[in-house]
Amino acid sequence: MAALGARGGLWWRLAPGGLVGLGLPPRRYRYKEKWAETASKIPATRLALQNFDMNYSVQFGSLWSSIRISLLSEQKYGALVNNFSDADRISQDLELLNAVDFVYESQKAAQQVQCDSPVEQERSEETAPPEIHSEQTPSLLSTAISPNIKCYTFSKGDISRFPPARPDVLGTLGYYLLDAASLLPVLALNVQPGDLVLDLCAAPGGKTLALLQTGCCRQLAANDISASRSKRLRSVLRSYVPTEISANVRITSCDGRNWGEVERDTYNRVLVDVPCTTDRHSVMEEDNNIFSRMRLKERQMLPMLQMQLLL
Amino acid sequence: MQRSSLGPIRVCRQVLCGCRLVPITHLSVIRQPWLCASPSAGTAASFCPLLSSGHRLAFVASSEWSGRSMSSAGWKQDTDEPARNGKLLEAIRLALRAQQGQADVGSPELGKMLDSFSNMGFSTSQIMQLFSLQPKLAPQTWLMVVSELVLLGLDANSTLSILQKSPEVLRMTAQQLRHRAEYLRRLGLGEGSLQRVVNSYPGIFSLPWKKIDAVVQVFKKCLFTVAQVTEILRSCPSVLLEEPHDLEYKFQYAYFRMGVNHRAMVKSGLFRTPLAEIKNRHIFLERLGLYQTPDKKGQTQVVNPKLKEIIRVSQGDFLTQLAHSSLEEFTVFKKLLAREEEEVIASEETDSASNGEGERSDSK
Repeated sequence: MAALGARGGLWWRLAPGGLVGLGLPPRRYRYKEKWAETASKIPATRLALQNFDMNYSVQFGSLWSSIRISLLSEQKYGALVNNFSDADRISQDLELLNAVDFVYESQKAAQQVQCDSPVEQERSEETAPPEIHSEQTPSLLSTAISPNIKCYTFSKGDISRFPPARPDVLGTLGYYLLDAASLLPVLALNVQPGDLVLDLCAAPGGKTLALLQTGCCRQLAANDISASRSKRLRSVLRSYVPTEISANVRITSCDGRNWGEVERDTYNRVLVDVPCTTDRHSVMEEDNNIFSRMRLKERQMLPMLQMQLLL
Repeated sequence: MQRSSLGPIRVCRQVLCGCRLVPITHLSVIRQPWLCASPSAGTAASFCPLLSSGHRLAFVASSEWSGRSMSSAGWKQDTDEPARNGKLLEAIRLALRAQQGQADVGSPELGKMLDSFSNMGFSTSQIMQLFSLQPKLAPQTWLMVVSELVLLGLDANSTLSILQKSPEVLRMTAQQLRHRAEYLRRLGLGEGSLQRVVNSYPGIFSLPWKKIDAVVQVFKKCLFTVAQVTEILRSCPSVLLEEPHDLEYKFQYAYFRMGVNHRAMVKSGLFRTPLAEIKNRHIFLERLGLYQTPDKKGQTQVVNPKLKEIIRVSQGDFLTQLAHSSLEEFTVFKKLLAREEEEVIASEETDSASNGEGERSDSK
């Protein structure tokens, strides 16, 4: 890098990932082959696993071994239905495969419980002075979630895979495959019609797409610090969302920590998917693994980064 | 003990004398090694295969055995025995004639043979079944093969089932049968196990020599001692029917991937368990964090359970005591693992295919 700069006599200020345009990968991927022998023989995946064994076994206790084996085995995907395509037909097709919309099912289950609890409340009022807890439980369960989101998964123990989504007559894809748990923050956000929404760290676009599915976003700002990942986000939106909707989406590639200075109090809802240790990826893939020795500093700075983004 | 051990010898002689087709010299030749072997063996089992099966039979149903011979002797005196025999004779002759007129065996010879069969302990129905199996064969061949099998120590029922399961045994000569039995004995299949093996895998007689040799060679290559090889063959005789390549793979999996030593492999009956089952349980434990492949120095961060504890327990015990997991989880895991293996195989095949094509295009 220095040699390049010195040769031309120019001083280049490099942004992160800046040398990509010159055909060189970012620094953390580059290594000289002949020095590779001195590189540690312990793969990053093993380091990640050791780290998790130490920390998560304390955190999760006896549940950790089940979580561990699930991380090391094949991932189970959920299919987020694209409302901008033929949603009913897609839902039907997915149901034919024996998949179930877990959002719908859990709402139904919650409503069931809600119907039962007023009865309990009455009983408790008769027997004892009304307890505050029983009054509160119905309201807790009726916590609203973001509307219009449909995500199909196969039932417990079913290891079938979803076939890749096929484009319809207009070229939009029918569903987006993601980890079902990724939807939980979107659901919890409880987007209301007419909201202005900000999605920090939006790429590769699963949560952004889900936010758009609600149909409630008057305007959506999607940001990711990495330009290449923003490009990916753009292509995802292109494949799934018609142009008139994506006109309301503003995609930027800035550092999310500075947002407060730029646009304070502009949004009703903000979703921040902070960079994390990417657990599943870290134990399975060696490439781009955040537990590799080279990225140690990066990983150690993660908590601070997360805090800065959130505050 | 003495009486019951002598009883079968008497029967032995009776049987062998009954088989007129077997020369008496043969009898003495065979008996020599048995008598020589006896001092070394603690039990009377090495004395005579009949004795050893008597080991099985005598202590279990010696009365039955001697009872049979008694009854066959008693048969001779029975009044309706000639009538029964005569009917049998007729039936068999009819059957033989029906099968493209075999050389019309004279009635008295047939009668003698039937006597010898019944001396060996075959009931009428069993004799009928025997003949119905392969009526084309000359009855002499029958007698020879059956007597060989009986000499090995198999009782009537087992002989019948063996011949039913693999009729190619009939095509072998007495010599071949004897040689094969000798070889198996030398490999370490002692008396009780020999019968067990032959019972469960009658095809073992017709296995080509090379195959058995290849299996033994593979074990030597894997650096098992001779004693260990004997032990393996004794406890898991089915290895003789497997491909040497598969056996080697199984060994390598246990040695390198699981870090199990030779002694543990032999003791736990590794070769008795199918590879899929071993992999299922091992990888399940590995991914749960309860088993680790030992590093270069043989150390692990967790204490690995012993191989015996993993593969020799029932699935329920394995799940509750070792894995602390549920049956549901294990079932789903097995399905996932099976799919992973399929895909690895499929991708290897496509890789080799594309490599082959690449080479071809390069050479152009």
